[in-house]
Amino acid sequence: MHYDIASRPSYSLLEVTLNTGEQIVAEAGAMTWMDSNVDVHTSARGGILSGLSRAALTKESFFQNTYTARGGPATIGLGPGQPGDICAYEMAGGELYLERGAYLASTTGIETSSDFQGLRGLFNEGLFILRLSGVGTVFFNAYGDIQEIDVNGSYVIDNGHAVAWEPSLEYRLTRAGRIRSFLFSDQIIMEFSGRGKLWVQSRNPRSMADWVHPFRRVQSKSGS
Amino acid sequence: MQVEAMQRGAFGWALVKLNSGEKFISEAGAMFRVSSNIEIDVTTRSRSSGGLLSGVRRMIAGESFFLSTYTASGGRGGEVGLAPKLQGEVAVIDCDSRNRWVCAGGSYLGSSPDLDIDTQFQGLRGVFSGESLSFLSVEGAGPLIVNAFGKLTEVDVAGHLTVDTGHVVAFEESLTYSIDKAGGSWVQSFLTSEGLTLKFFGHGRLYLQSHNPDEFGKSVGPLLPPRSS
Repeated sequence: MHYDIASRPSYSLLEVTLNTGEQIVAEAGAMTWMDSNVDVHTSARGGILSGLSRAALTKESFFQNTYTARGGPATIGLGPGQPGDICAYEMAGGELYLERGAYLASTTGIETSSDFQGLRGLFNEGLFILRLSGVGTVFFNAYGDIQEIDVNGSYVIDNGHAVAWEPSLEYRLTRAGRIRSFLFSDQIIMEFSGRGKLWVQSRNPRSMADWVHPFRRVQSKSGS
Repeated sequence: MQVEAMQRGAFGWALVKLNSGEKFISEAGAMFRVSSNIEIDVTTRSRSSGGLLSGVRRMIAGESFFLSTYTASGGRGGEVGLAPKLQGEVAVIDCDSRNRWVCAGGSYLGSSPDLDIDTQFQGLRGVFSGESLSFLSVEGAGPLIVNAFGKLTEVDVAGHLTVDTGHVVAFEESLTYSIDKAGGSWVQSFLTSEGLTLKFFGHGRLYLQSHNPDEFGKSVGPLLPPRSS
């Protein structure tokens, strides 16, 4: 397998070239283009139960597609739903946590499952995150630029900007700063501690949605 | 203090490195990554006349009501990452005490505490066209971080230049400016939604953005279900 991540970081697209018989697994809907040597197989990967829990708990797709090169080398383009960066992460038997929506693709040696984040998740976007394990390459994406942060000690990020982190890092959710005004709904932050890598995105889909909100029409009250 | 604009295509951001005890200010909510020894204080920071009223004026200026103040504590330095909400590039303007800068309400991202940020409201002419003309006045010496919707272009104005108000990011006050209609008459200008333009005269630096945030909002907002209030 050979891959290239084109047009980083604004509009990244993952281009994968597979040798005959090689496979790559991707989030359903990520396929942008592929040549005629690609054979597609759709499944609830890891079985129905695993697929269900992944879909219900992390809002990743229930289905994943497995693309196989048949009758010769094949190329396929995989694009995330959001404009932004794509990162490749090599796994050698360890684990990696992904925020929901960050998973793009992985080689066949990688297992995906949902992981319960306990009470910490109560404040979080979701109670569950995606846990990846095994040996191979994982591709994850984000809204915006992705920055890799080497945490040694502790580091704080806004809740909406987490993308991925290594399990050697612990985190807790807390509120930022001292609140001087009752009018301000303070931002929720994730405080990571330990030693490991953390990936953050430079934009937040929720902020974008909040920005658009005032441009929505106001519902007419005359009808009620 | 070291402020760097990170040029990352459509998704620029700014990294502020503070020495022990140093402070920095940003639009509330712009911080997305920060060292754990940075204290974050959310206030209605304003000038002497300020208080709540100044906060309200800032809200009118298209900015969030509150500013966040970051302080490197614990006898150590630290860093703060700031990002705008929309796609686009970020720039650092090194303000000096010779000239004041005028920054469009939605383009302010952060500033040194040595800079005084004040609002100006341009009055009824802005309301007339349906566009809000709101600017922050920036005075003093230190770094100012601005963000653009889309590409950021720096122009050295010598003579005169006409710019649509929705594309103005920031400009030096050494430039004199007047608000004018874009069309032939006020009615025509209103009907064609060409809106208002700023006519600049003199010498000074001007930052423009390639896209108009209001236009984008107006193209997406009506596609969403109506809001209740």
